Amino acid sequence: MAPSATTTNTQWSTEFDTAKRQRLFRNPPKDKTAYPTLAAAVDPHIHSFNTIFEEGGQIDLGIKEIGTKVFLDGDQFSQVDDGASRNRLSVRIRGVFLDKSALPVTNKFAVTNRSIMPAECRERHVTYRGKLRVRMEWRVNNGDWQESSNRCHLENMSPDQLMKAKEETEELGGYFIVNGIEKLIRMLLVTRRNYPMAIKRGAFQNRGPGYTSFGITIRSVRPDQSSQTNALHYLNDGNVNLRFSWRKAEYLVPVMMVLKALVETNDREIFEGIVGAAGSKGLEEKQFVTDRVELLLRTYKVYGLHSKAKTRAYLGQKFKPVLQIPDDTTDEDAGAEFLRKIVLPHLGAYDVTESQNADKFNMLLFMIRKLYALVEGECAVDNPDAVQNQEVLLGGHLYGMILKEQMDEWLNSITFPLREWGRKNSWLPFTSNEFQRDFLPRILKRTNENIGQKLEYFLSTGNLVSPTGLDLQQTAGFVVVAEKINFYRFISHFRMVHRGAFFAQLKTTTVRKLLPESWGFLCPVHTPDGSPCGLLNHMAHKCKLATQSVDVSAIPNLVARLGVSGKSSASLDASVVVQLDGRVLGFCSPKQAKVIGDTLRYWKVEGTHGVPLELEVGYIPNSTGGQYPGVYMFSQAARMYRPVKYLPLGKLDYVGPFEQPFMSIACTEPEIVSGDSTHVEYDPTNILSILANMTPFSDFNQSPRNMYQCQMGKQSMGTPGTALRYRTDNKTYRLQTGQTPVVRPPLHNEYGLDNFPNGTNAVVAVISYTGYDMDDAMILNKSAHERGFGHGTIYKTKVCDLEEGSRRSRGSKAVSKLFGFAPGGLVRAEWREKLDDDGWPLIGAEIKQGDIMAAWHTVSFDPATGEYVNQDGQTQFFKYKEDETAFVEEVRIIGSENGSEPCTKISVKLRVPRSPVIGDKFSSRHGQKGVMSQKWPAIDMPFSESGIQPDVIINPHAFPSRMTIGMFVESLAGKAGALHGLAQDSTPFRFDEQNTAVDFFGHQLMKAGFNYFGNEPMYSGITGQELAADIYIGVVYYQRLRHMVNDKYQVRTTGPINSLTGQPIKGRKKGGGIRVGEMERDALLAHGTAFLLQDRLMNCSDYTKAAICRACGSFLSTTPTVSEFERGRKGGNVVRCRRCAKLAEGMESKSEVWEDGQGLRYTGGDDVAVIAVPGVLKYLDVELASMGVRLKFKVEP
Amino acid sequence: MDPYDVEGGAINVRFLQADSTRANFLIQNFDLATANALRRVMLAEIPTLAIDVVEVFDNTSVLADEFICHRLGLIPLNAKNVDEALLYSRDCECDGYCENCSVTLTLNARCTSDGVMKVYARDLVVSGGRPNDEIGTPVIKDPEGLGSVIVKLNKGQSVHMKCIAKKGIAKEHAKWAPSAAIGFEYDPNNKLRHLDYWYEEDPKKEWPVDETNANIDGVPQEGEAFDYDAAPTRFFFDVETVGGMEPDTIVQQGIRVLQQKLANVIQELQGGEDIDMGGFGGQSPQMNGGGYGDPTAGSFSAYGGNASVWGGGATPYGATPYGQQPPSNW
Repeated sequence: MAPSATTTNTQWSTEFDTAKRQRLFRNPPKDKTAYPTLAAAVDPHIHSFNTIFEEGGQIDLGIKEIGTKVFLDGDQFSQVDDGASRNRLSVRIRGVFLDKSALPVTNKFAVTNRSIMPAECRERHVTYRGKLRVRMEWRVNNGDWQESSNRCHLENMSPDQLMKAKEETEELGGYFIVNGIEKLIRMLLVTRRNYPMAIKRGAFQNRGPGYTSFGITIRSVRPDQSSQTNALHYLNDGNVNLRFSWRKAEYLVPVMMVLKALVETNDREIFEGIVGAAGSKGLEEKQFVTDRVELLLRTYKVYGLHSKAKTRAYLGQKFKPVLQIPDDTTDEDAGAEFLRKIVLPHLGAYDVTESQNADKFNMLLFMIRKLYALVEGECAVDNPDAVQNQEVLLGGHLYGMILKEQMDEWLNSITFPLREWGRKNSWLPFTSNEFQRDFLPRILKRTNENIGQKLEYFLSTGNLVSPTGLDLQQTAGFVVVAEKINFYRFISHFRMVHRGAFFAQLKTTTVRKLLPESWGFLCPVHTPDGSPCGLLNHMAHKCKLATQSVDVSAIPNLVARLGVSGKSSASLDASVVVQLDGRVLGFCSPKQAKVIGDTLRYWKVEGTHGVPLELEVGYIPNSTGGQYPGVYMFSQAARMYRPVKYLPLGKLDYVGPFEQPFMSIACTEPEIVSGDSTHVEYDPTNILSILANMTPFSDFNQSPRNMYQCQMGKQSMGTPGTALRYRTDNKTYRLQTGQTPVVRPPLHNEYGLDNFPNGTNAVVAVISYTGYDMDDAMILNKSAHERGFGHGTIYKTKVCDLEEGSRRSRGSKAVSKLFGFAPGGLVRAEWREKLDDDGWPLIGAEIKQGDIMAAWHTVSFDPATGEYVNQDGQTQFFKYKEDETAFVEEVRIIGSENGSEPCTKISVKLRVPRSPVIGDKFSSRHGQKGVMSQKWPAIDMPFSESGIQPDVIINPHAFPSRMTIGMFVESLAGKAGALHGLAQDSTPFRFDEQNTAVDFFGHQLMKAGFNYFGNEPMYSGITGQELAADIYIGVVYYQRLRHMVNDKYQVRTTGPINSLTGQPIKGRKKGGGIRVGEMERDALLAHGTAFLLQDRLMNCSDYTKAAICRACGSFLSTTPTVSEFERGRKGGNVVRCRRCAKLAEGMESKSEVWEDGQGLRYTGGDDVAVIAVPGVLKYLDVELASMGVRLKFKVEP
Repeated sequence: MDPYDVEGGAINVRFLQADSTRANFLIQNFDLATANALRRVMLAEIPTLAIDVVEVFDNTSVLADEFICHRLGLIPLNAKNVDEALLYSRDCECDGYCENCSVTLTLNARCTSDGVMKVYARDLVVSGGRPNDEIGTPVIKDPEGLGSVIVKLNKGQSVHMKCIAKKGIAKEHAKWAPSAAIGFEYDPNNKLRHLDYWYEEDPKKEWPVDETNANIDGVPQEGEAFDYDAAPTRFFFDVETVGGMEPDTIVQQGIRVLQQKLANVIQELQGGEDIDMGGFGGQSPQMNGGGYGDPTAGSFSAYGGNASVWGGGATPYGATPYGQQPPSNW
């Protein structure tokens, strides 16, 4: 079962390989990683970023797309048109360069090594970034280009790439370090590029009168990875309009106008392009289409635009202001610019040639064709929620898009300082010497050239601030923190694919469905339950992502040789389309299409004829009303693909999600159907994500349990990394006694997960023993606990920043606070218990709530001596505020980058030991979680004949309803493995009905002298009597989850209250209470526990004594009386009702008269009682009184 | 009754196998409750010696103080004659620890060479003044004579600790356990039918039988009638030492402790003076009160600033009719 160990370093067996790991760990390999599979999992993130700045990469192409910006001089609002043409200032970007992270030039101390390492950034809580330089050129009119090089101080982040200094030996990279926090641009599922999708959406009808729900959309992606969505709408009368968005505004243009503007054409060509060549097969049946095309052509006549030039001019004139095209451009050129930027830019986004425009023309015709087919019912709609029609927006691509857009915006923003300069200098022409003098220092300096700041904002918040929206459906949530709670969680971040925040609010659940199309690309198991369920997916562990386009220059010729021609016929039965990356290569018969598909596949696997292996050849066969047929090939980046075995050649083939639904891929070798199957899976587990693969025997479990394990694996207290000493995460968890699981798949070794143990092997007995194991509680052997079972630690980092909150202007030397005891001031002995001479905490010191963590004093700068002097001799402190005892692990003194300022910031790493306590959560690897309910004394635990006592007892009732048979099998395998010293292979789908897992491991147990089924007779630890039933006992890998009672318990008797209502406040941190809500109240009522109810809702809440007048039933009219003779003293707590009282006339007896606070004298109103009421009742009374509503209470008796 | 008359019902112990680490024996004519009591006592109530308090002078290793301390605690120490030689620290008159109630070990290691240095149990140095010259020595069983690894040091790192080994029992902490697991079995042939074997087809085929024990106990005859009144009388013990005590000492000590406990019960019943059997009172200090937090830390005095019309910034809980007024009629 286990693959045999080979000599190469990167081959991993299923064995424990302890010695090999130890060797690797002590001498990290110099040449390459020992875990290439692990590195490959992160590759898309790194590579997609690397392609941004490489030669001919995203930025280079983006610069070309941005082109030259032209600005005109003179007052654009001046009415006087002197006829003379205005001068043109042209600005363009020539190149962008990203430097390595380095110290600023102001630092005079570092001489030899000026580079900054990522580990340093992490520890200093700063951003790992390098300088981004832009080379820019400008000229006036048609003068020479003047270079203005290396002058932009833009800063930019680069992902951490394999820095060995103070890093993990298997550091993966692929993330950004922003303010010391590791951030990651999450991969996003977006519509497949360059494929016209048939969509039927009710919302399309809202575009205007006549609009129907039918449409064709294409997400056209430029070479620089930015995209522009074009949509065709079908109108009731058969007309077709083109819709696009530009800078978040929507525009609709008759598609005929665009067609006519693209190429010099005529109605016949358009007609034949849409319907099919005249005289071709099936033309007669195409009455539906011919009618509509006729109408299309006829209605367009109203515009009276007949030539390409005129159409372009018309479009140009309309869109010139929208596209920010300079005023002096001709309308026709503006029209060409419109076509370049907006219409199917994937077929030509810069330096557009005639043939490219013809490609666009043909593609538009094809789209109209497909639209009519859709309306006619000839083809089905494409499902935008299926992976077939999706690709992945990679982090690097998004980053590059933002960068490009920001550069574009920056160039555009020159216009404002230019105008400002013109206004101040009486509109001097650009040709003047003053302009030459001022342009760089005055005008360009005024622009906001800090693109890095914008990117930093993006990376730290994940919010996209963009004028165009980048053709995306969301503006926030692009970036997530790569949390290092344990390694499973960390690695999962890189395999995570989100469907988009937009879909999260959608009421319908269709987008969340697991569709068969995602087989092999998205893991069916690894998705969280709850609100992100189905939206946040993880890629199958063998699924790769293309980060670069492959060379497909040979394809058009090959296809032509295989019988593709430019002529199409009316019927799909006679001709179907052949496309490459959204370019129509031609048409051929359906039979020929299949031949083309098969031949190209053979060649691509064979590696001949210049067909790249990564090419996706999507052959869609003809069907009755199914997906629109044709051969669609895709070669560009952002595609998913996965390895399968191509049977005719027995070699590796890559399969994409577009082609997969129409292929016959056998799941296992025996399932190959001769004459049908073309491929076979390398392994059925290839469809699972890394984490899902780690669940042992997951094929024995009920599927939701495997989902739960994928969640809990990521929450377990494990080993976040090995270089913990060089990390300063806000909070990290660490399991002190981690072990390698006895039962694990070979992939566990391949992914190097033994470097990051995530749990402990425990002897688990399934028995209902003490009564403390009800409802998923588990019992822990007290001795096991004392020997270190599940012992964990939390590391917290507290930053003590003297300048926090005070914004010091850069460069000024006004440091006002310094660390340390105030010189000359009193230093108490108790302070010195926790703090060292320098005022910083002692390493290893135990600190409790309220203890001091660092000392500081105020200073002022004395220019005479050049030193900081303390005036008051007062020492102040940073305090530890949390209620848990911690130890000081590390103290980091953080200086400034230029090295010339005194230290004003330290970061203290604290260690909180967390040994398991009752109420802590544990789980096996089968979604079987439970809280520890007792630490049971070892002598009372049940034991086997050999004296083995379980570490953990779980209740048998945890199994029947959950059906986690995998856990039983793991227990069996673990027991056999522990007895024989074996690492057990737990890969799912390895056993079948004839060759069962139970049999395999049962025989191993028998060999060791144990019962075949894993049961053992056990004795009660308390009486010593043999238990009547034999007990299922074995070894199961247990995870300790990070949810611990110490972080959760909430108790209160009295405590802080809300000042308005008098009720307890909420929140555990603030010492508040837990709400007894309506439902809890109902339950208490139903139980008849009135006393408890009153205690909760009244006495422990807002119990108040209030005076109320029995006569008029009011709280508000009562007033305390004031003794006539003893001013300032209350009248003996006597309360009277002012409302029922009469003003005293002076005739009454002294004993009847009372006086209120204002000195008014009354008689009567003495029927006042003091009652206990909830405080809010009085408050309600006041609120209602303010609205003129009087509450009247009846007081009895 | 003749104490050696096995047939006559005298308690009898028969050793099946015994060496320096294991004692495999059976007790005949014994009863279940006492046998189990002996097992429990041997597991948890025999006093042994283990490091309980560590004074850390220097620790620049990668492991945290409390983690090394935990490891030190689990190192088995020779506990020869500990029962008489040492007092329980809590019974001792000294303040903290002294020679009468503890053995002091010192760990002082520094790595000065390149590469990783391992600190082993043999590096624990026992200070003089111990009651006998074996007690407190770390148990080392491996052929190289190194003992268990405590910590690994890199160049420049060092540990310097004073370890106070005290007498204690496993009931308090597992580190004082003289044996890790004690095999215990009776009725290997299930003649008493205490156990209802689960089986698929045939329990005889599916259940493994410990042949030796089964033969000693007597294989039941075919068709032998089931004696439902029978009680187990023959008990198989398998005591394996952790190393601090000889296995036979463990058994002897177990019996002694059991006798003491019984004597204590008798004395209590007769109203005699209280003998502190120990083991119930003390407990090692735990971080954060064993996880429940410091009980005094929960006071809410810090919230006094939230005063309002409702008075005092806290619910007037104390002023309820239930709190202040004495219960009137019940």
